[in-house]
Amino acid sequence: MNQLSIYEKVNAGNRITREEGLMLLQKIELLDLGEIANVIRFRKNPKREVTFVIDTNPNYTNVCNIDCIFCAFYRHPGEEGEYTYTVNEMIQNFKNTASNGVTTVLLQGGVNPALPFDYYLELVERTRKEVPEVHPHFFSTSEIEGMAKVSGLTIKEVLQKLWNAGLRTIPGGGAEILSDRVKKKISHLKGTSADWLNVMREAHKIGYKTTATMMYGHLETDEDIIEHLEVVRQLQDEYHGFTAFIPWSFKPGNTPLHKIIPTYASSTRYLQIIALSRIYLDNFDHIQASWFSEGKKIGQVAIHFGADDFGGTLYEENVHAEADFVNKTTIDEVIHLIQDSGFTPVQRTTLYKTLKVYEKIQAA
Amino acid sequence: MTHNYRDENLLPIFQKLQHGERLSLEDGLVLFKTNDLIALGKMANYVQQQKSGDAVYFVLNQKIEHTNVCVLSCKFCDFAKKKGEPDAYEMTTENILAHITPEIREVHITGGMPPDWEWERYLDIVRGIHEKFPEADVKAYTAVEIDFFHKKFKMPIEEVLKQLQSVGLKTMPGGGAEIFTERVRKLLFPQKIGARGYLEVHKTAHRLGIPTNCTMLYGHIETFEERLIHLIKLREAQDETGGFLSFIPLAFQPGDTGISVGDGSASGGKSHSQFTSAIDDLKTIAVSRLMIDNIPHIKAYWVMLTEEVASVALNFGADDIDGTVGREHIAHDAGAVSPMKLAKNQIIKIIKDAGKIPVERDAFYNPLNAFGENIIGKIPFLNSVSFYHNLEKKGFKILPVSPRRMGMLSKQGQLDAGLFSLMDYFEQEEQLELLDLCIATRDQVKSVMLFSKEGWAGLNGKKIGITDETATSVQLLSVLLENKYRVQAVPERLHPGVNDYSMFDAVLLIGDEALKHNKRGLNGFELAFDLAKEWYDWQKLPFVFAVWACRKALSGERREELKEMISDSLEKSEIDLGGIGYPYGKSFGLTKEETKEYLEGFNYRLGERELEAMNVFKSLIVKINVIV
Repeated sequence: MNQLSIYEKVNAGNRITREEGLMLLQKIELLDLGEIANVIRFRKNPKREVTFVIDTNPNYTNVCNIDCIFCAFYRHPGEEGEYTYTVNEMIQNFKNTASNGVTTVLLQGGVNPALPFDYYLELVERTRKEVPEVHPHFFSTSEIEGMAKVSGLTIKEVLQKLWNAGLRTIPGGGAEILSDRVKKKISHLKGTSADWLNVMREAHKIGYKTTATMMYGHLETDEDIIEHLEVVRQLQDEYHGFTAFIPWSFKPGNTPLHKIIPTYASSTRYLQIIALSRIYLDNFDHIQASWFSEGKKIGQVAIHFGADDFGGTLYEENVHAEADFVNKTTIDEVIHLIQDSGFTPVQRTTLYKTLKVYEKIQAA
Repeated sequence: MTHNYRDENLLPIFQKLQHGERLSLEDGLVLFKTNDLIALGKMANYVQQQKSGDAVYFVLNQKIEHTNVCVLSCKFCDFAKKKGEPDAYEMTTENILAHITPEIREVHITGGMPPDWEWERYLDIVRGIHEKFPEADVKAYTAVEIDFFHKKFKMPIEEVLKQLQSVGLKTMPGGGAEIFTERVRKLLFPQKIGARGYLEVHKTAHRLGIPTNCTMLYGHIETFEERLIHLIKLREAQDETGGFLSFIPLAFQPGDTGISVGDGSASGGKSHSQFTSAIDDLKTIAVSRLMIDNIPHIKAYWVMLTEEVASVALNFGADDIDGTVGREHIAHDAGAVSPMKLAKNQIIKIIKDAGKIPVERDAFYNPLNAFGENIIGKIPFLNSVSFYHNLEKKGFKILPVSPRRMGMLSKQGQLDAGLFSLMDYFEQEEQLELLDLCIATRDQVKSVMLFSKEGWAGLNGKKIGITDETATSVQLLSVLLENKYRVQAVPERLHPGVNDYSMFDAVLLIGDEALKHNKRGLNGFELAFDLAKEWYDWQKLPFVFAVWACRKALSGERREELKEMISDSLEKSEIDLGGIGYPYGKSFGLTKEETKEYLEGFNYRLGERELEAMNVFKSLIVKINVIV
């Protein structure tokens, strides 16, 4: 096993092993890794196109009882600063954003034990009915497990009812690192790797499409990262339900984990992870670069290391008084960032259907 | 390393690089326009690895901007103030000294050009720092300021520089180059000195033995072609003088400056995101490394690039990340997002994250400390090429370092293995273990040369300049002088970067410098003695200049791996010594045949006669005092 043999293996369309994955992560120079990743990237997506989605990322509640030590967002029930919006309020929020061109609402909350299952069903149904322009991309696996708990239904039943209400895709957050050794330390109430995989498997069986994520740069080892990629790849072999894989690095600011992990993972590490993901996950169609979490400049570089998607424009993360202005700026900026990197930006739907190709206007 | 390029236009350029050929402006345009960022980076990395291996340099430096009062009004600058404006400041030498701490190794001084300072005040700053902090090398005043002094104080440029040098100036920063074309200069900085003025100041400095840096300000209104013209002009100037230490591409910081970015074809009509894109930053670093084949270092200046992009740039051809900086106004005022100061540890982390060896340097790029594990020292001379050219590194990292500095780093416990100068091996014999490989001569060597105005007998009591790089050759010279010729001379260490030898009666040069002059002759020195030949004629033994050794503490397994790695590389290289050596040999005028002959003149395996020669030499060693 050496660099050349792995290159040849990938070039021939063969799958790499865990050991080879570990070698890629530990022994191969950055640009060599990028070169191998691009073999797969351009085989799967031969056009020099990079997709993005105009989306918004609101939260219906910040109340949460899971206490993850990497999170700076949640509040306990009754704690100062907690909020939970009504379905009416959320629908109004979606209508506002839809009028500004948003096509996807990625909605997540805390896991608020006070909300009944009907709240979630109503949210999906009314979104479909009252704001048909937007695609609901709702609820992480933890929230779905929370719904099972409050309703007494099984995961499968919860998912089926949400499907019947009109939900078709689920975001892939909450995976963190699919290694129980690490999960116990950073999110002991969140459930095991098997729980995350189980919700995803049940969803894929019904016909949902989901994404898969990975948050690295905290307590995990290189072996844990390989384990994560391995279990995700295995599940993808079963139903091909994942649309994209999205790795991002842990951001220590304002979190309890900050005391143990004070520094950011490096930009080189991020590019290695993007490239390794592209190589390892040979059954995923897309790898997403996260400009929002890694910075715009490194996001640009990542699309040369195997990523073919630039994620969302994150409308609500930018909302200020002049919301539509900010939004316009954001979409334009994403387009420019992709163009400056030497790729053609393509606006897509949640399910990766092309909406608009932004051909570059050549400077005279 | 694999080279599978998606952009076929890059292939002929890569072939040129493999043969050590220089790139043309047209090649540069292909490089700037390619979308295959990875391939471009790999080409730059390939070239950079030959020059500096896995090393990335940094310096504990303090940046001093002695005043922001300036008579010029350059459009891109929002640092300068007019005298009397509320934020205007002017520092005294005392103010400046208060900013410097004892661990600082380089003080970088640039500032505005105030209307009313006396010449003495500028000299006093340099003198004051040099006297109070002799460990800190003073790098002061850009070409623009030197030219301003020349005009304001009515002294020739050479005189300005000589006076600064006499009070302690060591090197000069590279600011003020901007973009060398007249079109851009007239539009953006009509008051600045332009290409001719800039290069004249730098070349004058080089002739006086003051090495300098050079820069390019990109990402405003310039075209790719204009960037390339700029790079080629620097390359040509370097051909003349060889005095540039490093090149620094500076990304334009829009902020509150008077420039609206929008008509630059280089950025494809960049009108929206005003900061340069990361792709442009990385491409510019890589293209600079590839175009400028004769400047040793390319700097990724983290203050302007951001830490994240600077770290990635270390895989795209850059081998220097500047330093701790300390105090940095100009880029900060225009909105650079990096924090004001990075601690040394943070710099080390950025370099390690990129998979490289952090190497703390002095102003002349001499390594002072190397941080990390599994580091192999590399002698960056043609005579060692066969060991390194085909080396599969297997987790080891390569640090090029002159023989003398290799000994110092090893003594500091910062190297795991290396090709050690024989004297260093003798000195550290207890900690080191031989790996049965060496560089020994058969009869002559051509790269350890004494260039002399006198015959051996005539050198009695005369001054001999000794290259900074040597540890063993200077000892061989002493043995020859004292034991073979019975003369006593006065050896004196040459400063790195100095190439005016007129004050000496003889000069000892080694490695590529010696080879170069052996071929062309050294001006003013009629005689040239090959020390290995002198030794052979006397002792009828080979001379061992360097031996491969590793730390005894290295595990047996790792040691075997190392031995195998180096032997494998040597065997592969020996198939075509001329071929692998030629790209290096060519740069100092050797033909392929001559390169081959030179490399075949060595014995690379440590045999019985070599061991005997080592013992004989050891018994003859005399105590020498080299004046530093």
